[in-house]
Amino acid sequence: MSATTAISYALLAAGVGFALFAVTGVTTMGDLYSRLHYLAPSTLAALLIAAAIWVREGPSMIALQATLLAGFLLFAAPALAHGTARAARIAEHGDWRPQRGERVDVEER
Amino acid sequence: MNGWQLAAAALTAALVPCGWVCLRRSFAEGLVAIQVAAAMSALALLTLAEAEGREPFANLALVLAVLSFAGTLVFLRFLERQR
Repeated sequence: MSATTAISYALLAAGVGFALFAVTGVTTMGDLYSRLHYLAPSTLAALLIAAAIWVREGPSMIALQATLLAGFLLFAAPALAHGTARAARIAEHGDWRPQRGERVDVEER
Repeated sequence: MNGWQLAAAALTAALVPCGWVCLRRSFAEGLVAIQVAAAMSALALLTLAEAEGREPFANLALVLAVLSFAGTLVFLRFLERQR
């Protein structure tokens, strides 16, 4: 096994590991806001898998597509996490801002 | 079976727990599971494209990622109105 193949497989294994970690977190966490944290490892998984494809293929069409996918997930995952938390707060309280009885420390401006 | 095919199989199998969360938990928690499932499906298609040497699968992965992003935004609007 050449060094390039070994590095590519190592990156792939790390990527799949992070992906499975994300799924495990989403499955086992207790509430919505805890589950939301596990969107981040799935983005990291995409970056690692794209890196594995780059190492294996070099500059190629599939490597470019993998990079585009990872870049898109890098942008989309935080936006969706923020949007989901905001929508859930609106569904629960009618507004996303901290409510009076919540005991959340917020700096007044 | 090479490593890339194994990775694609593992990522596809990871969809099952996401489906379980969608079925058993609240609408909002199901939405989070959908987001992770979309990322897993896209990565599974990408690894499958690399395993089989078929570039069109990678196109599918990109299209899936973009469309699932738009679809999730629509579901978020539904969640906001669910009171």
